[in-house]
Amino acid sequence: MPSEKSPEGFKKNTSGKRLSSIIMNDYLTLHKKASEGAFVVWIAIIVPAEIFSGFDNVVYAVPESHAALCAGKGVGPLLCEKAEQLGYSTDLCSYARIDLGTAFGGAESSPTFGLPKPDLIISNNNNCSLLVKWFDVYHRAWGVPHVLLDIPFCYENQSRADFEYIMAQFGGLIRTIEDLSGQKFDINKARESVKLSSRALKEWKRFLSFATHRPSGITAFDSFVQMAPILTSRGTEKLAEHYRLLADETEEQVKNGIFPVPGERYRLLWDNIAPWHQLRKMSSRLASLDANITSASYTYCIGALEGEYEPYEFDGKDPLQWLARLQNFSVCPHGLNLRGRAMKEVIGRNAIDGVVFASNRSCKVYSLMQMDQMRHMKEELGIPCIMIDVDHADVRKYSEETTFTRLEALIEMIDKKRSGAPA
Amino acid sequence: MRGFLDTLQGIKAKGHTLIGCFPLYPPVELFHSFGLTPVVLWGLEQDIRDLSISDRHLQPYTCHVARCLTEFVISRASGLFRALFMYNACDTLRNLPEIIGSALDEESTLPIMRLHVPAVSLDHAYAAGYLQDRIEGLTAELENLTGRSFSASAFNRSVELYRRQRGLCMQLEERQAQGSMSFADCAEVLMAGSLLPVEEHIALLEARLRESAGTGSEMHGHPGIMISGILPPPRHLLEVIEKAGLTVAANDIASLRRSYAYSPAPATDAGAYYEDFYRGHHPCTTILPSADSRAEYILKTAREKNVKGFIFFGEKFCEYEYFEMPHIEQMLKSSGIQCLCLEMTDGGGEQIAANQTRIETFAEMLHT
Repeated sequence: MPSEKSPEGFKKNTSGKRLSSIIMNDYLTLHKKASEGAFVVWIAIIVPAEIFSGFDNVVYAVPESHAALCAGKGVGPLLCEKAEQLGYSTDLCSYARIDLGTAFGGAESSPTFGLPKPDLIISNNNNCSLLVKWFDVYHRAWGVPHVLLDIPFCYENQSRADFEYIMAQFGGLIRTIEDLSGQKFDINKARESVKLSSRALKEWKRFLSFATHRPSGITAFDSFVQMAPILTSRGTEKLAEHYRLLADETEEQVKNGIFPVPGERYRLLWDNIAPWHQLRKMSSRLASLDANITSASYTYCIGALEGEYEPYEFDGKDPLQWLARLQNFSVCPHGLNLRGRAMKEVIGRNAIDGVVFASNRSCKVYSLMQMDQMRHMKEELGIPCIMIDVDHADVRKYSEETTFTRLEALIEMIDKKRSGAPA
Repeated sequence: MRGFLDTLQGIKAKGHTLIGCFPLYPPVELFHSFGLTPVVLWGLEQDIRDLSISDRHLQPYTCHVARCLTEFVISRASGLFRALFMYNACDTLRNLPEIIGSALDEESTLPIMRLHVPAVSLDHAYAAGYLQDRIEGLTAELENLTGRSFSASAFNRSVELYRRQRGLCMQLEERQAQGSMSFADCAEVLMAGSLLPVEEHIALLEARLRESAGTGSEMHGHPGIMISGILPPPRHLLEVIEKAGLTVAANDIASLRRSYAYSPAPATDAGAYYEDFYRGHHPCTTILPSADSRAEYILKTAREKNVKGFIFFGEKFCEYEYFEMPHIEQMLKSSGIQCLCLEMTDGGGEQIAANQTRIETFAEMLHT
């Protein structure tokens, strides 16, 4: 399988190049179609983008995804500062600050020259209500309609009443888009898009399944990077095909004995959003310690129901029902028990040696219950855990040495456990 | 005023059955109609200084309101409450039930009732229907908890009591704005409504209104300001404001004005009542559909009360408040109203001197 080594030891494979091409193309197409008069929607990441495929000329942008890209490209602090100069507190989510900084004068610093102005903004609040307040800023500044999808938080699996409530809101959303865009919704087109999403998610899980191999066929950093098109190309043939090729390529690499961390001795799980500004550095430095973050709650929840791991497959019937049922395919909408259930499954499935709880200042909804979750994992599974301080997109709030002091302590804890020495 | 815990223990000793409600705007009338005494768990920061238990469960970037609530419930509420109640007021509070549930002693079973209040406009029939169903479900839980059946007449009586309470709160606020009492004293009386039985709070309000009737103040004529935030600032900061020659002419405090400014029409149907309650609620950053009307309300009130300045006492880490503040500030400044933003980290206990200096400087600016 063709690959090349970068000076830092990071292998860029065919899937990596294909991914770059997909992402670049997505943003170029978005800008082009917007300039040609397409109806532009900005959405939060869990908003069911497949619905837009039911229209002839609706395109969408995902500010969170764009912010992650900016953070990965190193322009996060610059854009955050622009928002802070406008009066937005440094305690606010760094995704939001990057996005606000981009929107209000920072587009030239964005790797995609920002996002085309929206005709409609759609948020949902099960990931966080902060998003709603963030999107309200644009609603006020630009006079753009803002629709909120109210998705009840899940302490248990989604109830029937909540499912029906979400379905009713989808109906309202579709009517709103029809009214504003002048286009008619075609459920058959949306169904085809959902079929492709379901196929893509199956292949996504197949790709993640190579984390069970010893050594792991993937790192969580691969999954962080490769999750991007789920947000920007959802419900498309190119996404389904890309994940199929990604899974095939990974399978081939495993068969040929090519592993991201060949000397892997420590298999770790990461709990929180990816540290976008540290992906390459952190993965390389961990590899030098023979440590591999093989799994991440941020990516293993994609495509699954609350507290579960396996993908929720589309039965080919009502696409809106599938989308409504899968409205919680992130971690943040899940309560402590649901998160714990999924985490325990992955720890067992992927033979995890230790868990890294990344306490993320910019994401309270992800981080708030981590102290209790960490306690439960230690008590129930006896698995070594640490907590580190990060910010997923604002590198100014991250200290590499402090982080690695703790990561190295985790490795020592794992060694101690293996040796049978008392804790 | 006695401390929070002492006060509640005293109330319980008189035979009340307490239900601890997470802020901000729980359905207190419904609890009261079942013979329960609802206590809204905010304003604890003056009593709770040691957060060592809460700190074992919550990240340091959690707001002080949530940390104090968690500390109080886990460490001191044993045997105090019959049940707890929460609704989806904010991202932080929605995470607390399981954290608190897992932290409480395994011996004690403290039911935690939950309600999802639609975060979309209740003008949508599906949202109104959903809320009504949820209220029915909550009613059934209360019947199970108390062994009583829902009574439409009892509910109506409770509604009337809380209407009276809210009306008296508005009167007291008006009396204070006219200079009959300090805002510090007024806020203390108003905040007592979070923990006192409503009947006792009504009596307290009536007594304060009688005492302050016909009294004037040398504060009359001083520049008026509007204050905003989740909780009123600590007493010493309110005294600094008044000592600096400013009058609190209006407030946009969640535990004060936002809580009592709107009272739905009396009703015997709890579902219909709470549809009105949450739909018509005074604008608040946490009531997502009200964001547009909140800015309008603040500007309108500021103009009506002829305020010269606006002080935002920002609850640190409250994204709801901080996302709206730049817009509010810009809007007010372009209307000629000066703004001051202060960050409250632990109920205002830290940075006393710095906040005092900033308020005094702000007052000087308004006086010139």
